[in-house]
Amino acid sequence: MSAKPHPRVGLFVTCLVDAIRPQIGFAAIQLLEEAGCIVEVPAAQTCCGQPAFNSGDDADAAHLARQTIAAFEGLDHVVLPSGSCAATMVHGYPELLADDPDWAARARAFAARTHEITSFLVDVMGYRPQGRRLDASATYHDSCSGLRDLGVAAQPRAMLAEIEGLQMHGLEGNDVCCGFGGTFCVKYAPISNAIVTEKAEAIERSGADLLLAGDLGCLMNMAGKLHRRGAATRCFHTIEVLAGRADGPAIGEEA
Amino acid sequence: MSHPKPQPSFKARAGAALADPTLKLAIDRTTGTAERKRAAAVAAFPEFDAARARGKAIKDHVIAHLDHYLETFERNAIASGAKVHWAADDAEARAIVTRICLDAKARLVTRAKSMLGEEIGLPHALADAGIERVETDLAEHIIQLAGEAPSHIIWPAMHRTREQVAELFKAGHHPPPTADDPATMVQSARRELRAKFLGADIGISGANFLVADTGATCTVTNEGNAELTTTPPRIHIVTAGIEKLVPSTAHAFALLRLLVRSATGGELTQYTTFHCGPKRPGDADGPEEMHIVLVDNGRSRMLGDEFREMLRCIRCGACMNHCVVYRQIGGHAYGGTYPGPMGAVLTPVLDGLAGSRDLPHACTMNGRCAEVCPVGIPIPTLLRAWRVRSWREGLEPGVMRAGIGIWAMLARRPALYRLATRLALPVLRLFGRRGWIGSLPLAGGWTAHRDLPHPPGRSFMDQYRDQQAKKGAGQ
Amino acid sequence: MTARDRILAAIRASLPTPRPAQDAIAAEAAALLDAPATTRPPLAAPTLAGAFAAKATALGTTIDAVPDMAAVPDAVRRYLAAQGLTASIALQPAAALSDLDWTGIETHAGIAPDEAAALGVADWGIAESGSLVVHSGPQTPVLLSFLPLHHLVVLHETALLPHLEDYASRITGAPQPRNAILITGPSGTTDIEGSYVRGAHGPGFLHVILVTSTG
Repeated sequence: MSAKPHPRVGLFVTCLVDAIRPQIGFAAIQLLEEAGCIVEVPAAQTCCGQPAFNSGDDADAAHLARQTIAAFEGLDHVVLPSGSCAATMVHGYPELLADDPDWAARARAFAARTHEITSFLVDVMGYRPQGRRLDASATYHDSCSGLRDLGVAAQPRAMLAEIEGLQMHGLEGNDVCCGFGGTFCVKYAPISNAIVTEKAEAIERSGADLLLAGDLGCLMNMAGKLHRRGAATRCFHTIEVLAGRADGPAIGEEA
Repeated sequence: MSHPKPQPSFKARAGAALADPTLKLAIDRTTGTAERKRAAAVAAFPEFDAARARGKAIKDHVIAHLDHYLETFERNAIASGAKVHWAADDAEARAIVTRICLDAKARLVTRAKSMLGEEIGLPHALADAGIERVETDLAEHIIQLAGEAPSHIIWPAMHRTREQVAELFKAGHHPPPTADDPATMVQSARRELRAKFLGADIGISGANFLVADTGATCTVTNEGNAELTTTPPRIHIVTAGIEKLVPSTAHAFALLRLLVRSATGGELTQYTTFHCGPKRPGDADGPEEMHIVLVDNGRSRMLGDEFREMLRCIRCGACMNHCVVYRQIGGHAYGGTYPGPMGAVLTPVLDGLAGSRDLPHACTMNGRCAEVCPVGIPIPTLLRAWRVRSWREGLEPGVMRAGIGIWAMLARRPALYRLATRLALPVLRLFGRRGWIGSLPLAGGWTAHRDLPHPPGRSFMDQYRDQQAKKGAGQ
Repeated sequence: MTARDRILAAIRASLPTPRPAQDAIAAEAAALLDAPATTRPPLAAPTLAGAFAAKATALGTTIDAVPDMAAVPDAVRRYLAAQGLTASIALQPAAALSDLDWTGIETHAGIAPDEAAALGVADWGIAESGSLVVHSGPQTPVLLSFLPLHHLVVLHETALLPHLEDYASRITGAPQPRNAILITGPSGTTDIEGSYVRGAHGPGFLHVILVTSTG
């Protein structure tokens, strides 16, 4: 539990949420405020640098790491609606800046106060959604970075269990990659397609109305494949459902 | 290079694999079973995590004292009567083995499966020297009949269905098997190979462990073919990588518990055999000569660079059984001796990065390989290290560098980035309809296979700024 | 420079100098075997025989317990009859076996390539894994354990050890045989589509005659 009941939290909205699905950012602000946080959105944020980091372009990745660390200096926590961007900051930044005498310690301190949002809400703020209702069935995909690099697994499920009327269905291979992998999905498109096809089949077999996950990249991949297949499954970021915003358009639906 | 370079590119090989429904069926059958059995074996071993930490520590200890253990092993192996040879690379290793065979005037050589033998190109070298080579592991026997390379380090013939194996055996066995169920075919191979085992001049095996304090080499098999390969011939040759050392038999056991569970889901293989020198005076059977070829082939270089942790690998294959990419394209698409995640780390070491730069990139970085690795190798971290080298050495395609360059130029300038987003989103909205984009210039890799959700007209940052401005005005 | 010198030099170039003393390395290696109970599976049953039997039978090994060595020929006869085999067996050339009363069973020392059944004696059994340990030697041909289709093995209950490490400590410092073989179930393969088939190259049947007498 956090020492402070009202910590100042910087929201790193992520480049994908910024450009593709702003609703997730607003859901994040809502949940963080409900949990008692004072939310700020530093204007100097762009992308965490993961595309450069995973492409081996360490110079650009390190530049973005320094830029992001500086933008969030002075805040109690940095919170992201993405396990993979959070993992880049928590594990990637200290690695990128390890040999930089001016930045190594700052990167480690920054990593220590950076969190994926569902784990932050549960583990740090002790938050549970209250009075939420959604009459639907849903299945949950564990996005890989959040699951393996940050241990995000029980927290989203614990919060989803508080939503009345929401029936959770198991997902075969819930912890198996959806085939997104950032630039992988366009560089090796046929392999990515084969992987996401199996994922879409499993999601369809689950029989759930909704697919939930904690990373917009994975969600776009799965939602895009499900739509191409003509599946009726609707896709939301977990925190949209937790914030009671699943009555609006799902990913790819027009408002 | 030990193998003739596969001509088509990685992408072409992967494309061919994806287009082969029989291959997918074969991969699913074997890796699916392996995944389930490993999970059950680990669940039945509550101490697995502690055992894994111990196994990792044992390998790290050996690597940190590799010079000491090599010399200790050599001394004890020589004391047991074995001859020890050192090979700095694959060519030296091939030359040593071939020379022993030719000096012995060997006509028939039996071989028990060894990935190191494949790595150094031993099968081709023996053929070039005019020596008949008989693979005795059932899977290696299958791919020898098919004229193929292994597609998996534990199940080299996993790309072959039973129907395909039946065809190979009908053509290659005398007499041919009478039915195509696995049991009948295994009996047929047993009959076919028996005379070869007993008639061989030399038996060649690999080693899962080299035990420093006894000088013994250790093989693990389920079929019993290793012992039938190493006992009847006059000469037994072992080829082994220098990273296979363990301090003692007890250390080997600690690693065996991890190896077998991770590989097949068993607890021990049916046969775990320590081979220590040639037959002793008066022994009822066994070879008169034992040769051990210690092979470096890039390993000492790995010790000094960012791939050192890969020297812990005990070749269990769990990483490939749990890899989403391997399970779609199988082993041959990787184009090297070792496929899957561990192969994507090792192939650039062995064959050079320039010809294999696709391998470390053809990974989603999902981390499942590292999660199941019995010696805790951070495979995604090592794959990223190759990507860093590839970027630094300018091996990345120009379009990729340009794309990342433009993106990074914007991302490094928040105000410009905002402006670019503001301009791009309305343009993107010109494409597609009813929420989805089905086709988009420059994004064909995405839209060939899936739809792209329509972006909003305005970004989160712009919408948020407006909201804050309104709040400010209202106060 | 020889390949040996080049390899060792390349290794030492990447390791810190000076190189640690041998006894420091030995101490570190010994520490890696500390508290083995925390890193290995517990036995499957409270008694060694029970644990051994649980593991061995799960792998398809059959077990017949007899009170003493004199009862071994009868156990062999029972087994051969139950398997529909002729009363003939290859014997490991060890006095402990050849001295028994084999009336009614043809015995021989040589092992044919397609030997139907052979009988040997295990040096130890390992309860943790249901394994038999056989050391090669003048009276113990390796091929006796691999050529026959039916491999019968006498195991003294007193030769049961709890864990793999207990066997390792038995052989530490002792002269090593050419082959030390741990046999854990009958030969098998999963090389065709992962489906399990017994009797790949080694024995398809493994039968343990457990001698329970302490004498």
